[in-house]
Amino acid sequence: MRRRVLGLAIAVVTVAAAAGCGSSSSSTGGSPSSDGSKTTQVTVGIIPIVDVAPLYLGQKQGFFSKRGIDLKMELAQGGAAIVPGVVSGQFQFGFSNTTSLMLAQTKGVPIKSVVNGVATNGKVGADVTGVAVKKDSSIKSAKDLAGKKVAVNTLQNIGDTTVRESVRKAGGDPTKVKFLEMPFDQMPAALDGGQVDAAWMGEPALTIAKGQGARVVASPFAETDPKLTVATYFTSTKLLKENPGLVKKFTEAMTESLTYASEHPDEARQILTTYTKIDAQVVQKLTLPSWPTKIDMASLEKLASLGEEDGIFGDKKPDLDALFS
Amino acid sequence: MIRTTVLTAARRVLLVLGMPAVLFAVWWFATADSTDFYVPPLATILQKFGEVWTVERLLSDVVPSLIRLVAGYLLAVVVGVGLGLVVGMSRVVRDVLEPVLELFRAIPPPVLVPVIMLFAGIGDTMKVIVIVSGCMWPILLNTVEGVRAGDEVLSDTCRSYGITGVARLRHLVLRSASPQIVTGMRQALSIAIILMVISEMFAAINGLGFTIVQFQRSFAIPEMWSGVLLLGLLGFALSLLFRFAENRVLAWYHGLRRAQRNP
Repeated sequence: MRRRVLGLAIAVVTVAAAAGCGSSSSSTGGSPSSDGSKTTQVTVGIIPIVDVAPLYLGQKQGFFSKRGIDLKMELAQGGAAIVPGVVSGQFQFGFSNTTSLMLAQTKGVPIKSVVNGVATNGKVGADVTGVAVKKDSSIKSAKDLAGKKVAVNTLQNIGDTTVRESVRKAGGDPTKVKFLEMPFDQMPAALDGGQVDAAWMGEPALTIAKGQGARVVASPFAETDPKLTVATYFTSTKLLKENPGLVKKFTEAMTESLTYASEHPDEARQILTTYTKIDAQVVQKLTLPSWPTKIDMASLEKLASLGEEDGIFGDKKPDLDALFS
Repeated sequence: MIRTTVLTAARRVLLVLGMPAVLFAVWWFATADSTDFYVPPLATILQKFGEVWTVERLLSDVVPSLIRLVAGYLLAVVVGVGLGLVVGMSRVVRDVLEPVLELFRAIPPPVLVPVIMLFAGIGDTMKVIVIVSGCMWPILLNTVEGVRAGDEVLSDTCRSYGITGVARLRHLVLRSASPQIVTGMRQALSIAIILMVISEMFAAINGLGFTIVQFQRSFAIPEMWSGVLLLGLLGFALSLLFRFAENRVLAWYHGLRRAQRNP
C-alpha cells in the first residue's frame, strides 16, 4: 500500500516537474521545414472518436507525407488534456470542440484554430450527438427535459449549452435541466439502469443506446445550427509565429483529408476500426458527421452567444475573429 | 526549567514550520515572474485562494466531500478491523479468504468506479463505497498481522484465568493489535483522501475533487492550483487530528516503548 502511495507521489512530482519545464523546453515541431525534402515530425493530440477519421484517412492516403509531414497521433483522455499538450509544445496540433477553444481563449490560453475539424450533419433526429431517453420514458420532447437529470460528458461546455438551446427552442425552461457529468461510454448503462433520465451522447454510445431501445428526443447540434462547427484543429500562437510554413502545410493537408473523407464515407467508417475498439457491427450503423473544409462563422457566433447566456465565459467574451479566422 | 521548556517548544515549532516555509519560499520566487499559463505565480494563486474558497463554497463543496470522506473512512475502519479480527484469529478462515482478499486488493478502486456505479447508482453511496473499497485494505491487513502477532504468554494467562469471549477480544486481542491497527488506519487516511477526490470525478455535482476538475476543464488554472493547495492543507489538518487521537488512544503503548528503550 505504501508503495502505491509512493508511486502516486512520484507521479505527482513528475507531472509538476514536466509542467515546470513546459515554458523552457517547448519545441516547435522538429526541424524547420523550409526545404521541401526534409520531413518534419508532427504530433497531433486527439480523442479517439469518429470525428477525427479524416486525419487517419489523410495519413493513409499520403496527404501529409507528400508535404513532408511525418504524422503521429497521440490519444488523450479529453479536450482538457490536449490544450496543455499543445501549449507546452508536446503536440504541435490538437483537436478540440469549439466551445472549449473559446473558453480557453477567454482565459488567455495562447492558442489559435488553424483548420476545420468536424461539423454537425444537420439532421434533426439523426445527428452525431443526441439526447436519448429510455423507450418507456415520459419524456417526449426536449421541452420535457426541464426538471430532469441529464448526463453530459463535460459540464459548462458545448454539450450542456446546446442541450439548453434545444430545450429553449422546444418551449421548455432551460435553467431547470439538471446536468451531471459522466463519460460517454458509461451513459448507455446509466440510462438503462435509470440513474439518469436522459443522456446527451456522441457516437458510438448513441448507436449502442439506440440498440438497447433508447429514443432520441433532441439533436442539440443540429437544432442549434444546421451547419454548426463542432470542433477544429488548433495550434499554439508560438508555433504559428515561429513556423508558419508548417502550419500552412498542415492546414492544406487537413483540408485535402476533409474533402476526401466527405467523398468516401465508407472508407471513413472502415478506418475507425484501426484506432478505436468499436465493434464492427456498430461501425456499420454509426451516424457520420459532416466534414466541411470551411469553418462556419455564423454558427460559431450563435454557439458563443449560448455560452455567454449560460455564463460559462465569466464576464468575458470570446474574440471569434482572432480565434477562428 | 520553564525557560528550557519554552526553548524546546520553540525549537519544535521551528522544525515543524521550517520545511514548509522553505518550500513555499522556493515556490514563490521560482514562479514570481512566470508567464507560463499552467504555472501561475504563487501570489496569483494565493489571491485566488481567498476569492474562491469563500464560506459559501466551503459549505457547498468541501463539506459534502468531508462527510463522504468521514463516512467512507469510518466504514472502512469497522469493516477492516471486524474482518481482520475474524481472519487473524482463525487459521481456517485465513486459508480460505486470503487468495480472494489478495485478488480484490490488487484491483485499483478507480477501475471499479464504473462497475460500482451500476449497482450503487451515482449518488453519495457510490462515492462512499469507492473510498471504502480502497482504504479498508491497509486496515484489514494490519489488523490480521496485529492479531496474529499477539503475545503467547498473555494469551495463555488469559486462558488460565478463564478470560474468554468478548472480554478476551476487547482486553487482549484488540488491545495488543491496536498499535498495528492504528498504523493501518494512518495509511488508510491518505488513501481515503485520494479516493475522495477520484470518486468525485465521476458523475458528481459537488465536492472538492469535482470543483478542481471543473477549474481545470475551464482553464481556470490559478483557481485549480488553489484547490490543490486546499487539498494539501486538508490532508495536513487531518493527519494532525489523527496524531492527536493516536497519542491519546495509544498512550499506554508509547509509554511502554519509552520505558523499554531507557530502562
